Order: sequence, then structure tokens, then C-alpha cells
Amino acid sequence: MIDRYKRFMNLEEPPPAKKAKGFFTDTSLCIGCKACEVACKQWNQLPADGFAITGNSYDNTGHLGATTWRHVQFIEQAKANGGRQEQRWLMMSDVCKHCANAACLEACPTGALIRTEYDTVYVQQDICNGCGFCVPACPFGVIDRAPTHGQFEAGTAHKCTLCYDRLKDDMTPACAKSCPTASIQFGDVEELQQRARHRLGELKARGETKAELYGMPEGKEATEVGPLHAFFLLLDKPQTYNLPEIPRLPRKTMAQRYGWSAAVGVGFALVGALVFGGRR
Amino acid sequence: MISNLPPARENLPPPPAGEPLSSGSRDFPRGPGPGGGYYNYPVVRHPVWTWEVPTYFWLGGMAAGAYVTASLAQNFGSADDRRAAAGGFYVAAAALVPCAPLLIADLGRPDRFHHMLRIFKPLSPMNLGAWTLTAFTPIAFARGASHAAGTGLLRGPLGTLARLVPTRLAELAGCVLGLTLAGYSGVLLAATNIPLWAKSKLLGGLFMASALSSGSAAVTLQAERRGVRDATLHRLATLESAASLGEMALVTGYLVQSGKTARPLTTGRFAAPFWLGAVGAGTLLPLVLHLFARRRDGRRLRSLSTAAAVCSMAGSLALRWSIFEAGKDSSRDQEASFDLSRE
Repeated sequence: MIDRYKRFMNLEEPPPAKKAKGFFTDTSLCIGCKACEVACKQWNQLPADGFAITGNSYDNTGHLGATTWRHVQFIEQAKANGGRQEQRWLMMSDVCKHCANAACLEACPTGALIRTEYDTVYVQQDICNGCGFCVPACPFGVIDRAPTHGQFEAGTAHKCTLCYDRLKDDMTPACAKSCPTASIQFGDVEELQQRARHRLGELKARGETKAELYGMPEGKEATEVGPLHAFFLLLDKPQTYNLPEIPRLPRKTMAQRYGWSAAVGVGFALVGALVFGGRR
Repeated sequence: MISNLPPARENLPPPPAGEPLSSGSRDFPRGPGPGGGYYNYPVVRHPVWTWEVPTYFWLGGMAAGAYVTASLAQNFGSADDRRAAAGGFYVAAAALVPCAPLLIADLGRPDRFHHMLRIFKPLSPMNLGAWTLTAFTPIAFARGASHAAGTGLLRGPLGTLARLVPTRLAELAGCVLGLTLAGYSGVLLAATNIPLWAKSKLLGGLFMASALSSGSAAVTLQAERRGVRDATLHRLATLESAASLGEMALVTGYLVQSGKTARPLTTGRFAAPFWLGAVGAGTLLPLVLHLFARRRDGRRLRSLSTAAAVCSMAGSLALRWSIFEAGKDSSRDQEASFDLSRE
């Protein structure tokens, strides 16, 4: 019966699960060359976002969005220390985190957002109807809806696919492939996590006391959205890189909010029954 | 995505003359902001929704409130109450007519609106809402038609068909679905990471109360034109006042829980629609007018009830609109985003 239904509806079996794939972005190795941004745009045929001068160091990209799936941040700061002026210049290539509990995926009403066999989060462009709910749901401000006019899959939601098409052919995602310093490392998430812990120890031993990992299973940032399959080694607090301390998963508080809503509705019905009460 | 960034703190040099730049806007904030994050860039994305969404929330909520009020009168009220309030079924059906088109118009791909119903996923408030609207609309129409058939307004084969509608069942199912429709909208906004929408626990309850107060007000408004008795008007006024009182308590709680996060709503360009429209006209004024109307009758009572009903309905729209629009400003508030993620 179910088989006949599946055949009738043209439903395919999902591909068998593979090992979780992800990125380890080691910001201590980033040189801000933006090769990842360019490679991503080229491979995924993303249109240009136009010229804009932000006035904020070398960052003229601004933000991740529908047509920008890698964004290199430039934190260029000067601080007076005694008589000397200290400079620091941090770089970080930001990307979709492919959360274990993804807020966008849970928000999606059409089932366009799915979890792939590589445990990544992917938007099916032929399903998405551009309702826009995933956009404010993402705690990292990653996913966005393309404008309704324009050539690029207009009106639907877009974000990093972790180069799903390349993974299918056992190829490294475009950004990791093009990274000249191995700041962006691609691989099995479990192995990358081991590598990240080792690297953190190394950096700490060298005196990088502020270095920390962001998105590991043991980190407090994983309390709601779970471990991030694209995680980071940072050289300062997450806030410095615009990363929330504990990214929120809207589902966690939803029952309570429905509860208040239902209480008001039931209360009104009771008052109504009393007001009209028994005159029937 | 460039247009989503907040306005510049300092003036940038004017764009070069000649060819316009391909990106629409150049409003990047420059330098650090009070949040201590990456420059003053927002943490979350700017919501892409436009005016259709708050309008739909308002109309859908009002339809639900009117349907529930009419059903309560049918099942508990006197013969006068029942006759006067039954028009609430018409109000509900009429208010639901633009709802689906508004919801569809706001999609990035309106031609794929039916994809909302390709799965049932109540975990997503957007999906739950689409299903609820789909189920509630025909029930409200059927109940309205059955009333029209009962009063002789609807004749012929359609009237015969409408007489077959099980009224009690339609009222019960309609109330459950209507309350879901009125109650999910605030929860939908709260199930995001926009600080103004997500910080307080009470936005769902607030929208529900606002839906019920505006819905019962709509019933009063139509009842006045159908030769309603004073006693029924007084009862409807009590019901409206209860909803308005609840709304007032919830808006207070909402503001207290939101704290500094509510600044885009309570100060600046949305302060007037919020304080004067949503709070003043939406809750305070109807309560005061109903208080005056308590011992009145006849024309005095009617004009006071009308004024209160109109205020309540307009205030309900102001509430949805101002909270919705201020949420867009809130999405740019880096400090509030960090505050929300620290809880």
C-alpha cells in the first residue's frame, strides 16, 4: 500500500546517511585574501552584490546573505597601551553554521529546508515558496530571501549548501578548496573537532590565551542549536565576530508562548459564557 | 543584503555622480557600536515581510474574535443575544476573504503558495497557520451561510444546502480553529530571533487578546445596525472590556519583560502609533467609553458603543503594525541581539 503510494507520488527513497561533513574555520590562519568569497561566488554562480564602500577596514561585503555565502570579516583595531599604540587585525571567514538543531529548518513550513545525508542543512530551490520565515529565525543572520526581481532564483531563500553538488562527487567545497592557508578545513565533523582541540592546545601553549573554539559539542553555544557543523577557532570573544553567546533555538520557548496564548483564549471563552450565561 | 544594514552613524561621502550603483543602498554603519560586536552590524537578518503580514494578522484575528463571540452568544445567550450576535458569523467570513490573498502576496514565490500544504508540520507556526486558515475559512463561510439560510436571506438550492450545516459542530470546530488562528500569529513572530518579538513570553497572548477585543467590537458594531436591545449591548460591552483589560495587562507585561529591547517600539517613529494607537485607542479609550456607557441607554449607549468598537478595532491594527514594523528596526539592534542570546 505504502509502496504503491510512493510509486504513485514519485517518492524516492532518501540517500543513505553518510558521515557528517563540515568546516573547521581556523581564524588564526586567515589572511583575509577573500579567495573563499570569490570561489564560492564562482562555483555557485552567485551574482555580484554591487559596489559599496563600508569604511570598515577591508570589509566591503558587509554581511552573509542570499547571494553571499562566505563573508570575510576584518577586525582592525588600534588601542593605546602606555605610550605605544597597539594594533590588531583579526580576520574570519564567516559561513552558514549547519547547526545540528537548525532554527531555519524547524521554521520552514514547506519542507524545502532539509537535512542531507551529509548532516548539512540545504534549501531545495524547487520547493521553497519564499515565505521568509527562516530569515528572522536564524540566530546567526545567515539565510536570506533573494529579491523577487532578478535573475538568481528570485524570491526563494538561499544560503551555503556546503557545496552539496560537489560533495555528491566526493569533492571539497569550493571555499575550502581555494583557501591558501588551510584556514578553512573541510572533512568529517568528528575528525575536524579532534583537530580543532589539538590546534587550540597548540595556540594556548604559544601564548594565545584568548583563543577559543566556537560551536563544539561541549561549548555553551551548543546548548540550544547543538554542535555547529561549521565551527570556528576564534582569537577573541565570540561577540567580537558578531557571534551570539548562546544562539537561541526558537522551538525551545514556543510551548510556553502558545500556553499564554491559549490561556487568554480560554479565559475569554469563560468570561463570554458567564456574561451571556444561562439566558438561553 | 546591503540594504538591510542600519543607517550610517557618520555621513559617508556621496556616491560618485553618473551611473547609479547596482546595489540600492549604501547605508553601512561605520565604526564600533554600543553592542561591542563586529562594527555596528546586525547579528540577525532583517525580516523580509511587508504590510500584508500585519494586515493579515489583524483581519484573521478579528475574524476569529467575531466568530468566537457569535458562537458564545449562540450557545449561552438569550434569544436577543443570539439574533444580534449572529452577524458575527458574517463579519468573520468577510474578514477572512482577504486573508489568504494577503498571505500569498507576501510570498517570494506566490505561484507556489500551495507548497505550504504539501506537509503538515505544526512545529512550524507558519505551517500551522496556513492549515488553520485553510480549515477555518470554509467553516466560517458555512456557518455564515447557515445563518443566512435561517433568516431567509439565502434561498434556493444553496439555502437548502446551507441548512444542512450542523451549527453546533461548526461553532465548536470554528472556535477551536479560530482561537488557533488568533493565537498563533504572536507566537510566530516570537519564534524568531528578532529581539523585540522574541524576548517577551507574552506576544502570543497579547495578539490573542487584541484579536478577541477587536473581534467582539466588530460584533457590537454590526449588532447596532440590526436593532439590538440595550441589555445585549451591555453584555457585549462587558465582554469587550474584559478583553481590553486583558490586552492592557498583557501589553504592560510585554513591555516590562522586553525592557530595553522595546526601545524601537516605545521611542522614535513607532512611539505615536504604539502609544496613541495601540495602547490609547486600542485599550484605554474603549474601557473609558464603556465605563461611561454603563448606565446609559438608547442612542447615547449606541453612540458610545460604536465609538468604543471603532477605537478597539483601529487600535488592534495599530498594535500589529507598530510591533511588526518596529521589529525590523529591532533586527538592526546589535546590543539587543547579544542581550537576547545571553539569557
